[in-house]
Amino acid sequence: MKIELDTGLAALPLHAVTRARHRARHWTNYWQAVRSKSGFVRGCLAGTAAVALVTLIAFRLHLNLSASGSLYFLIVVMVSVVWGFWEASVTSLIAVTCLNYFFVPPILTWTITDPQNWVALATFEAAALTVSRLSTRAQGQAKAEARQRARVEKLYELGRRILFLDRRQMIGPQIVPLIQEIFGVESVALFDATLARVDATGPAADELEQLARNAYFQDSTLVGDEAHTWAHVLRLGSKPVGALALRGAQLGRLTMLPVASLTAIALERARSFQNESRAEAARQTEQLRTAVLDGLAHAFKTPLTAIRTASSGLLEAGRMSAGDHELAALIDEQAEHLNRLTTELLQMARIDADEVRLHRARVSVLTLVEDALERHRQQLHGRRIEVSDTVSSLEVYGDREILATALEQFIENASRYSTPGSPITVSGEENLGETILAIHNEGPPIRPSDRERIFERFYRAEESRHRAPGTGLGLSIAKKAAEAHGGRTWVVSEENAGTTFFFALPRGTRRQLDAVAGQGSDR
Amino acid sequence: MPSQGKVLIVDDDSSIRRALLNTLHGMGFHVEEAATGEAALQRVHEDPYDAVLLDVNMPGMGGIRTCREIRKSMPRLGILMLTVRDSENDKVMALDAGADDYITKPFNIRELAARIRAAVRRSSGSQVDPDAVIRVGDIELDPVRRLVHKAGEPVHFTPKEFDLLRYLMAHAGLPITHARLLRAVWGPEYGSELEYLRTFIRQLRKKLEETPAAPVYLLTDSHVGYRFAETGPAGSS
Repeated sequence: MKIELDTGLAALPLHAVTRARHRARHWTNYWQAVRSKSGFVRGCLAGTAAVALVTLIAFRLHLNLSASGSLYFLIVVMVSVVWGFWEASVTSLIAVTCLNYFFVPPILTWTITDPQNWVALATFEAAALTVSRLSTRAQGQAKAEARQRARVEKLYELGRRILFLDRRQMIGPQIVPLIQEIFGVESVALFDATLARVDATGPAADELEQLARNAYFQDSTLVGDEAHTWAHVLRLGSKPVGALALRGAQLGRLTMLPVASLTAIALERARSFQNESRAEAARQTEQLRTAVLDGLAHAFKTPLTAIRTASSGLLEAGRMSAGDHELAALIDEQAEHLNRLTTELLQMARIDADEVRLHRARVSVLTLVEDALERHRQQLHGRRIEVSDTVSSLEVYGDREILATALEQFIENASRYSTPGSPITVSGEENLGETILAIHNEGPPIRPSDRERIFERFYRAEESRHRAPGTGLGLSIAKKAAEAHGGRTWVVSEENAGTTFFFALPRGTRRQLDAVAGQGSDR
Repeated sequence: MPSQGKVLIVDDDSSIRRALLNTLHGMGFHVEEAATGEAALQRVHEDPYDAVLLDVNMPGMGGIRTCREIRKSMPRLGILMLTVRDSENDKVMALDAGADDYITKPFNIRELAARIRAAVRRSSGSQVDPDAVIRVGDIELDPVRRLVHKAGEPVHFTPKEFDLLRYLMAHAGLPITHARLLRAVWGPEYGSELEYLRTFIRQLRKKLEETPAAPVYLLTDSHVGYRFAETGPAGSS
């Protein structure tokens, strides 16, 4: 185990600052290797050799009892530090024998009964026991520290490498081999719940895949049937986003948890990056469209302004014959019609995108009605507009510009096709999660076959083509505007009851309304 | 026909200048033209004008900056900006830069002429007596006695409603931005309380208008502010 741990570390790029620790660890490993099974014989032999050497030297130098006893004591301590208690016990037995034979008077005789022997042996044994215990504990701590350090270094390495993942690509296929490589685990499986996708590697890939799914659905940590197999749900905040399953001998729960956290962060990082890129692309498209449409508006409106200035100027000057006057009036009318068509086409283009960006805000329906009427004031020619009191308390959460445009189209449509002189009524209500506006006018009904089709672009009912000038765009703009807000439009038309257009928007939730309430609801 | 006033047209598009030059001349204005904001600045300092017609969207200095520059040296000159619809920001910026009014392209020449005449009147007229009675259509406001009559009948207003109406009527025919209105009537620390203002305007309309939903006196300029009609419902506003 220690050897594997060491090779695992060697695979890591280590910084110079950790080199000293590395060297220290080599020593620890050396002791551990020396202490292994084959070390017992070697320990006993080394102890015996040391005792023999000390005996020889001490005997030759005629050292007294206490000096030679101290030397033997030193040997026993060293053997117990290096090898352990049992090796030291053997050594102390030999040392006591030598001490008795060579140094305890009468010299060169065995005196078994002498209590000095037992005192010396007991002393040596006590020292061997104490020292070996301390030594074992120190070594155990060093081992635990080494393991801890290795784990932190691997996690650090994983964190570092996650930063270099390609966020434009899928994260799963990148991070799974990374975990396998860094932690040296046998098999890895990652279940990404958002993409409903599994990436797995190793011989137990299929089994781990199932375990990862289970961990996600049970929202917990699972222990596999076989040893060293875990699966852990990945969470961001409190929300589960997937699960990670691992099998590997060196893995413990302590490692598993931070690996799961790092993986969850990697997934989230990639996801937020993708969302950002998507939002940025949408914003740029929107900007481009706005720029093109503004350019087009300017390009069309400039010649139209010149034409209308000239035509209305001719009419104002009043120096023409009746025939000339009629021709100038025709130019003026048609220029105005062209202007209206241009405006509506541009409005259409603005909201006719798959992902129209709405500038949503809390806006009162009364404000929308005011906006619509203000724009349409000139075409109303004194038509009576009645706004019901039911509207005054209504608020919607939407794009003021687009909604006012839609309302304007309904009012314009009503004023164009209704009985001249009859009032146009705007009313509203809240019903089943929708805010519904109704624009009612009196006049001939719309044929049932036309009621759907009038919302189509450029479609104009047979009768109306001859009755009133229109572009055929207005109602389709209103429909688009409603759809952009997740709403709908429809019409109810009866012979004697007139025609009512309905415009329904999903009610903004209280939270949406409140969220913008503080920021000033209008631009 | 006597000259209705001397007007400078500033637009980078020559066809619009040509059309305006001829039609306004035909309507009795003395008209001159400039193609850029820089040229316009030079012209207004050389020659006295009654009104300037200024396009917002011009290359170079641009209409808004030109307006600000002219306004610096000529506080009373009538400035009318030409804008395109759907550019509410331009309108507010133009008014903040000191323009008296704006008109949206393409316009009816009669409406333009009416606005120019109003601008000429303001720039050439003597200082208006702030205590004089103001009459628009059948509405009459007496600032000193704080009384309002509609078609001869007295109408009651709260003090704030009266101040708001008085300010709007004193600037009849001109668009007043929300911020300016709030500051003038409620005080300099106001400026963004739009809902507040809207509530008051609704009250005024209820008391003044025949059909509050389709007002003829107290008009809304979408996204910009409010404008009190210059003439009663009979005339075109």
